[in-house]
Amino acid sequence: MNSRKNFIIGTAVLALLLTACSSSSKDVSTAKKITFPTEDLTLNISWWGEQEAPGATKWLEETMALYHKEHPNVTLKQVLQTTEGLVPAFEAAAAAGAGPDIQYFWGGIYAQQPGWDGHIAPISDYLDAEELSHYINAGVEEGYQGKIWTAPWYVNPSFPLLVRKDILEKNGLTTPANWDELMKVCDVLSKKKITTIAGGVKDGWFGGWIYSILGGQSVQSQKDVINAVVGNTSFTDPEHAGWWVKLAESKTHKCWNDDINSLELYQAQQRFVDGKAAMTITAGPDAPNFAKKAGGDSNVTIMAMPAWSDGPMAGKMGTTSQTLGITKWSKYPQVAADFIKFGHTAERLNAWYKLTGSMPADDRFDLTQVESQSTKALFESAISGAPYLENFIPAQLDAEAVFKNVQLILKGSVTPEAAAADMQAQMERLRKTDRKLVDNFTAWSK
Amino acid sequence: MLKQASTVGARNGRPRTISAGQQALKWISPAGIVLIFVFGYSLISLFTQSFRYDGKWVAFENFTLVLTDPLFQTALKHNFYLLFTVPVMVFLAFLLAVTLFETRRGMSFYRAAVFLPYVLPIPVVAVVFGQIYQLRGALNIFLTAIGLDGLAQDWLGEPKIALGTMASVILWKEVGFGVILLLAHIISLPSEVFEASRIDGAGFFRVHWSITRPQIMNTIVFFSVIEAITMVSWVFNYVYVMSNGLGGPGDSTLVSELYIYRSAFSNKAPELAAAAAVCLFLCTLLLVVAFFRIQRRSISGTFGR
Repeated sequence: MNSRKNFIIGTAVLALLLTACSSSSKDVSTAKKITFPTEDLTLNISWWGEQEAPGATKWLEETMALYHKEHPNVTLKQVLQTTEGLVPAFEAAAAAGAGPDIQYFWGGIYAQQPGWDGHIAPISDYLDAEELSHYINAGVEEGYQGKIWTAPWYVNPSFPLLVRKDILEKNGLTTPANWDELMKVCDVLSKKKITTIAGGVKDGWFGGWIYSILGGQSVQSQKDVINAVVGNTSFTDPEHAGWWVKLAESKTHKCWNDDINSLELYQAQQRFVDGKAAMTITAGPDAPNFAKKAGGDSNVTIMAMPAWSDGPMAGKMGTTSQTLGITKWSKYPQVAADFIKFGHTAERLNAWYKLTGSMPADDRFDLTQVESQSTKALFESAISGAPYLENFIPAQLDAEAVFKNVQLILKGSVTPEAAAADMQAQMERLRKTDRKLVDNFTAWSK
Repeated sequence: MLKQASTVGARNGRPRTISAGQQALKWISPAGIVLIFVFGYSLISLFTQSFRYDGKWVAFENFTLVLTDPLFQTALKHNFYLLFTVPVMVFLAFLLAVTLFETRRGMSFYRAAVFLPYVLPIPVVAVVFGQIYQLRGALNIFLTAIGLDGLAQDWLGEPKIALGTMASVILWKEVGFGVILLLAHIISLPSEVFEASRIDGAGFFRVHWSITRPQIMNTIVFFSVIEAITMVSWVFNYVYVMSNGLGGPGDSTLVSELYIYRSAFSNKAPELAAAAAVCLFLCTLLLVVAFFRIQRRSISGTFGR
């Protein structure tokens, strides 16, 4: 009798212990246990990034070689995509249900949408929560109902204004501290036929940048934007439409190069390096390179867009991370995740900075090795930066309302009111055509 | 329709007659089977997808969404505007063809020069013209150099003229095809007719307008329809490369193919892309039917039937 009693008590205690252990491990991580395959296998990587972080190809090839050295049965291949081709190439692969194992995604909606569409497996299924907690912006941009879709790779401070002090000083000007001062700089320089801010909107992308750095100044957080997306507020409301007025104002003050509509983004930025423009806006990872080419810290100030509003994000640098995700059709998701994690080892983080001059998306990166004060300040601002708004609206709205109307405003073809109304009309239409949009965005905002 | 019948055999002592239509069907059936094999599945999939959303039957909902989309309407309008390039293209092709026909020396060289744009890859042409048409591009530099700076424009950056600029590139590239087609036909015409008309005192324009043109009308119609189909459903490459895939500035160069591409691959709305593609397919089909009708009438006219 006693032995039976002891057996029952023992079993109950054991069951309790097992339950406790399993629930505690669930709290720490939902990542699946990795069983590393031993057979020969190939992982394909489809990516983008050399365009904004020159040196990334070299880093990737180095990392692939080092990983292969550690795991001789794993061969890695990479394909660099064009800016216009990145999303369509992935969509084509997703439609076919075959393609790369590791796919590059811009942050926010660009990583969320493939997750919602069932084209990627959450990285949090394969990497533990502790590891992911170091990946900058993972939670804010890639988090969805307790999962994290993709793993941030490198940080994109979004987007810094680069100012040439030599051109300003030569014309008796100083670095503008607010929007009104910037407009005064534009007035002075345009009279002397000098471009104040070099930009190119032919390929559209710059329009999204402008939206984020101007539009972000009048909202309280990214949730305000999601509210407008799902229809709780309108893109014609002052907090969402004010930036169109400021953009038109910058056109009136002749802040931009007059051929902004016939130049691509990267073509225009070159004018800053060539000394033909006093300012430009660059991709965050490329900003230190641009600054170096234009004379370094002594000649270039890297700063956030001067504030035109008193909103909490005004005058603050935005931040986003470019990410890597694992495709749903990959036969070796655990190996793909392990490779991504390998890219976050201290040696690889340092190598990234050394080869690209930009910041890896990992808070374990040792900032003391950054010598340039402006670059260091840029990196620090990106760690605790403001959310990058463009990543919180549907990509279609970005292309068909923001890109389009920025081009038209800068050509003087539409009024700010018409641009805001068009953005709202496009959003209303999008809610009809994308019949899952409201549910997805609502779930994302929670 | 010319009715013809032939006796092909006898069964039970009675000859069996096959109409011209049946005979034609017999001859084209192998090619027809290949076409059905190649395009049949994709067409059925396209039509099926256009009536579905997320795997569920939605009747005409996708068509309603597409046809009420101001962007799709704009795209179709731009395709329609591009159709106006066709008469200009046909006229230029005819003019160049007869000029080459009359050229005594170096015809091969001129012919190759005129045809060269047609064989150049569209992306190459679009990139080169994209550079030439920049605000600070070669065209405006040239215009400024010869004192016509008042004519300098932001050719691809100004929404009001961007579509016209793009049409000029398409025209430059496609006209060579027409020249070669028409010239081949003109060369094959009997020379006696030209000689007789010249003896009667007809000049260059009279000869080619009244003698050459009617004789090559079939080829002119064929070229016109091919180019009309091009303008409706084959200008994607030009627009995609020259506007960086946006159809901009604004939506000033958006065409229906680009709308379909964006819906399918950028906007992740394959069902809307399918509905738009069905609309475009039907428009193209209308043009093809019109072509056959005009061609038949033209043949009847030529042979007096």
